[in-house]
Amino acid sequence: MSARLECEVLVVGGGLAGAMAALAARRSGARVALARRAPGATAVSSGAISSGTDPTELPGASLGARAGVADSARRLAALRPRHPYAVAGERLERLEEALAFAAGELSPVLAPFTGRHRWLPTPYGSFQAAALCQRSMVAADLGEARGRLAVVALRGHMAWDAGMVASAVERAAPLGGPRAEVARLDFPMWEEAALWRPHELAGFLERPGAAEDLGAMLRRSLPSGASAAVFPPVLGLSPGADVASRVAAAAGLPVAETLSDVPSVPGLRLQAALEARLRSAGVEILAGDLREGKGPGAPAACAGREVLAPSWVLASGRFVGGGIVRRGALAEPLLGIPVTAAEAFGDWGAHLARRPAASLTYREGRAPQPLLSAGVACDALFRPLDAHGAVIHERLFAAGAVLGGHDQAADGSGLGLAVFTGYLAGQAAAAGGSLAPAPAASGRPAGMLAPGGGGAGA
Amino acid sequence: MKLGAFAWLGWRALVAHPLRRLVRRGSGAERFALNYESEGLTRTRPEDRAVAEAAAACIGCGLCETGCQLAASPSVRSLGLHAAFRLYSRSSVDLPHALEALEACAGCAGCEALCPTGVPIGRVVGALLGRARDLGARAGRG
Repeated sequence: MSARLECEVLVVGGGLAGAMAALAARRSGARVALARRAPGATAVSSGAISSGTDPTELPGASLGARAGVADSARRLAALRPRHPYAVAGERLERLEEALAFAAGELSPVLAPFTGRHRWLPTPYGSFQAAALCQRSMVAADLGEARGRLAVVALRGHMAWDAGMVASAVERAAPLGGPRAEVARLDFPMWEEAALWRPHELAGFLERPGAAEDLGAMLRRSLPSGASAAVFPPVLGLSPGADVASRVAAAAGLPVAETLSDVPSVPGLRLQAALEARLRSAGVEILAGDLREGKGPGAPAACAGREVLAPSWVLASGRFVGGGIVRRGALAEPLLGIPVTAAEAFGDWGAHLARRPAASLTYREGRAPQPLLSAGVACDALFRPLDAHGAVIHERLFAAGAVLGGHDQAADGSGLGLAVFTGYLAGQAAAAGGSLAPAPAASGRPAGMLAPGGGGAGA
Repeated sequence: MKLGAFAWLGWRALVAHPLRRLVRRGSGAERFALNYESEGLTRTRPEDRAVAEAAAACIGCGLCETGCQLAASPSVRSLGLHAAFRLYSRSSVDLPHALEALEACAGCAGCEALCPTGVPIGRVVGALLGRARDLGARAGRG
């Protein structure tokens, strides 16, 4: 085993929550190590960051008149007392600051935070809210786009139905969205290429000239009066390739991609952008399983190195990332923190998670599914609690999907919650777990948008 | 016609089967193999069970596909190696269908570092390949 790595904050998990925690702690001046085994739920996400919509909103409400990001989160918190937004209490006021921080840190891929939801088409004929989206998705924002969108069908690309996407756009038209029309392109799909999977098509479009050819082809077969073009989510894997802008320049109009299903090219691009930013910010990345981890202050082993940190942020995800596993009953495998679950009619606690996982789902599809909101319970500083409701360790924090009480399927607060909790947990971990508000420790004003400067002293 | 069929079934159930039971040879497992292996239904060995348990951690996220440099025939590519073993690995009857995909695996292990749930993909593919070849050879004989 090589030299011991000593740092102030150890982040466990390399998805969006872990990356935000590491970057926020780094911004506060801490030395940060991040242990991760493999990409998790961030890499299979749609590629946009949703913080949750207003659960009281009527489906017919015009997109422009709907509640903004902060108001939506407040209303969600008021209805769901176990939700981390509610548990955070007054600190929920810092959601917008956290989202602006994420947009700044990941500015190569993410468009600036506007304070309102963006309404983005999915490949399934629906549209969804996102607090932050990638630059390659902005032109498909149904709340902002006007006129007529050309939904592009690439002949031979099987995992994509332009007609279904156009119908989703049309459904938003009475709510103030644009109209839509399908444009079919004879993109060269020879025998082999017709079987390309989305990430292979995305890699192809990164090659010099490929995006330009596609743009030129679009310009030739563009329906008259089109104000922007919507592509399948295949516009380049690498954050720097900027395929959307290259296609747009060649086509002569704004170009966007939709949200994605798995395998998700925008999700992989977001993950790549995270890792690039972590490296440039000076976070030590350890690729491997964290072993012998007993918690903050005790040495742990990862990737052949011994790591010692007085503060930990647990951002290990839920069922995809492996932060919560099912071994007969639900368990948190790294530190053995009790997992809590909630039942539809108010019962809540660690005893529910000890039941067989199958008993935590209900056959009625519209009922809340307790299994989907299972996770560790925490206090207002996102410190995990033991079975008696006491803080396990003063300097152990949790962020993202490993936290219980939120359900991405029901309230849509997946990656946005990862940003919010990761940002606050990272700041608190860097501040050493003191109960003082975290911004005082960073000594910087809120809403830091400039990327870089990660090495500044505390 | 119908009467004849019932008479035949009755003869088998009431006379032939009890008589055969009186003179049966070999263990239950051997007789199972005799009756079912020609149809591709083989016994699950402990090592097959271990592989199935390792593969059961797969959540079907598809991240492994993005690290797979599979260069194979279009029929394999359209499905993907990893989908092939998810679809076919549970049944010894279906497993030979995945033989082409399993043989196309170069064993680069590029996929393993991408698996969020830590499935030992290389080990699973190796074991399934051995089993698929075994079953294929058996079917060839049968």
